[in-house]
Amino acid sequence: MREWFKKGEHWIWFSASTVSISVVLVFGLLAMISYKGLIHFWPHDVYHVEVQHENGDREVVIGELHDSKVKEIDDVAAPHGKREIPQYLFKVGNRDVYGIDFRWVSSADIVGGIDTLEKDIVVVERYEYGNVYGHIKSVTIDGKTVSDPQESLALLSKQVKKGTELHSEIKYIEKIEIGAINYKIEGLRLEEKKLRANGDFNDEEAARLNAERAEYQKDFDKHHQAAQDLYKQTDTLGSVELAIAGNKTLTVPVKKIVHFWQPNNFSLMERVGFFFNSVGNFLLDDPREANTEGGVFPAIIGTVTMVMLMAVFVTPMGVIAAIYMSEYAKEGIVLRMVRISINNLAGVPSIVFGIFGLGFFVYIMGSSIDELFYSYALPSPTFGSPGLLWASLTMALLTLPVVIVSTQEGLSRIPRALREGGLALGATKSETIMRIILPMTMPAIMTGLILAIARAAGEVAPLMLVGVVKLAPELPLDMVAPFVHLDRKFMHLGFHIYDVGFQSPNVEASQPLVYATSLLLVLIILGLNLGAIMIRNKLREKYKSLDN
Amino acid sequence: MSEQNISVALDRDHRSLSLADEKVAMEVKDWNLYYGTKQALKDINMVVPEHRVTAFIGPSGCGKSTLLRCFNRMNDLIDIVNVEGEMTLHGDDVYAKEMNVASLRRRVGMVFQKPNPFPKTIYENVAYGLRLQGINDKSVLDETVEWALKGAGLWEEVKDRLNENALGMSGGQQQRLCIARAIAIKPEVLLLDEPTSALDPISTLAIEELIFELKKEFTILIVTHNMQQAARVSDYTAFMYMGELIEYTDTDSLFTNPKMKRTEDYITGRYG
Repeated sequence: MREWFKKGEHWIWFSASTVSISVVLVFGLLAMISYKGLIHFWPHDVYHVEVQHENGDREVVIGELHDSKVKEIDDVAAPHGKREIPQYLFKVGNRDVYGIDFRWVSSADIVGGIDTLEKDIVVVERYEYGNVYGHIKSVTIDGKTVSDPQESLALLSKQVKKGTELHSEIKYIEKIEIGAINYKIEGLRLEEKKLRANGDFNDEEAARLNAERAEYQKDFDKHHQAAQDLYKQTDTLGSVELAIAGNKTLTVPVKKIVHFWQPNNFSLMERVGFFFNSVGNFLLDDPREANTEGGVFPAIIGTVTMVMLMAVFVTPMGVIAAIYMSEYAKEGIVLRMVRISINNLAGVPSIVFGIFGLGFFVYIMGSSIDELFYSYALPSPTFGSPGLLWASLTMALLTLPVVIVSTQEGLSRIPRALREGGLALGATKSETIMRIILPMTMPAIMTGLILAIARAAGEVAPLMLVGVVKLAPELPLDMVAPFVHLDRKFMHLGFHIYDVGFQSPNVEASQPLVYATSLLLVLIILGLNLGAIMIRNKLREKYKSLDN
Repeated sequence: MSEQNISVALDRDHRSLSLADEKVAMEVKDWNLYYGTKQALKDINMVVPEHRVTAFIGPSGCGKSTLLRCFNRMNDLIDIVNVEGEMTLHGDDVYAKEMNVASLRRRVGMVFQKPNPFPKTIYENVAYGLRLQGINDKSVLDETVEWALKGAGLWEEVKDRLNENALGMSGGQQQRLCIARAIAIKPEVLLLDEPTSALDPISTLAIEELIFELKKEFTILIVTHNMQQAARVSDYTAFMYMGELIEYTDTDSLFTNPKMKRTEDYITGRYG
């Protein structure tokens, strides 16, 4: 044993154990988020239990089992004076009827078991008020009522499918077609304001603008009418009557139904299909119900766009600064101070960057831009309010030190002989840097960028001040020129997590969504990083033999 | 070329050379160089004859590399270096204010101790100097690259893999590539700073053979710590010691009949 210590083996074991702890932590974290997030998409069984209250009343509870815990109750008869009673958390849905989605049930109150899974229970996901759990009683279309279970089910799925198609048509008209027209009409309004501000507004212009506006208005009316017609069609889809727990009946119009399923009836393949379908909807749908339901598509687009823009801003800034510092600036006290400042910049709390972004970019720069270029639109701000551009710039500032430091490290690794080789062939210093040194520093620059992306994609606090909102009406990226709208506010996955998890009225219901969104955020950062790492490895391959 | 061939070549060149008969490529007058306060070169005076190989020998730290780097102003890169004196290249003042350093370095090429090819293809390495001058015409580039690689004795070995990364070549090939790269821009003077010290004997022989060929077109200055090499390849040899030019004459005289005691001590191996 002494021999063992003498050799220093214990230090090896010690360091190995810390490494393993880190590995376990990382994988544990990923595993937990993945499990908790992915379970959200798996179809839950719906239980049917009978509860007896203390006053003797009996009640049926139908819902998904979401959680359980053990409560200790004093009982002299029990061995330790305590008795453990399991408590179950059921998601009972039907929020418009019960007022709450979740309900704790003590196992002591349950009559019979909790293993009853009635095959014909349906779960109906609605555009409003969450899920309905119940049995289909009948389906009514145009006054005709069908109550045969098989028939009504088939009819309902046909109608819901129709409804989904109508909704997507309406969405297309409202978001894309009417959106584009609105954008143009807004453009005309701004043009008029601009002309008035410059004093160029005359009858001729007015006539032209009005003609154009009338044209667009006609277009708008046409599309609006089309949308209205579709809405009317959704009214004719009929309704379904459901028997829900508590001996109540709930009538749900088909137009309010997103989709419905019978989880207790699912085969394994159907479950898997349902799972992937839910994941797809989560990724591609807009959020509903104050973000607690639906998908996160706008947040994904917002996050990725912001990070990409940040990369576009930070890379040239950081690389140029690093080149100046290591290639041109004279070694001395000033350069040392600058280096220290840059290193310390990395330690500044991110919210401080947010405050700076708001104070400098939004209020000072944004307002100046508005006054100079968009004065006709005032008092409504264009760049003078938080938006994508300012958020990306703030993030670029936040990640600047990382890029500078790694670029400098890369530059210092280029052998002197190569610089001299370039110079000796009659290249100027800048030519040598551009043609030889910079390409060889690319792997190091990419490393910096990877770290920057990882930091920027996960940062939430500063973004809340400079452009992220709970719900953005429009995507920052669309098909209307100029495609990337720098002045728009956007949604962000990190903020979405905070908002859904802590700011929503229905925290319990949205908890799985928090995990799912976290998992997605981690995956997106991983994806962005993997892309950058792949580029870096390609570059490294190119300069590999340089290392020896 | 074998050892025997070199000696034949030497014999062919063996004639009474005299600096006074040569055309002057570069001239150095009262040259002093300081690293900060430390003087590294003291009152150097010499002429570099055109189309000849001039070798610098001397113990480590004698300033021979430093002097070589003065010819194409490589020492400008070191902030603390100060020079005084006069240096001309075919009559032009090398250190004049109006002298463009980049264009000077096109006229005075340099090959370094360690091969330093760029991490580009073989072709692009040789074409680099030309591209810097704005020459991007494919036919001109092709022609010059072939000429330079042939000049460096590398064409036969690499003509089928011009688009491969230069870093995949052997050390000797890399050094010849660096020579090809330097001669591709057709400099007037070629500076070789211990070009074979990192190479094996076979590669060394190839380079020495190359120097023989190259002097027909270029004026060559070579720094070497290898006296046999200096004797084999050079027409004139300068012996330097502690920053001073001790003796400078034709190679045969310097090695067979040194005038100075310190030269004799050095070439007979009594110190160094």
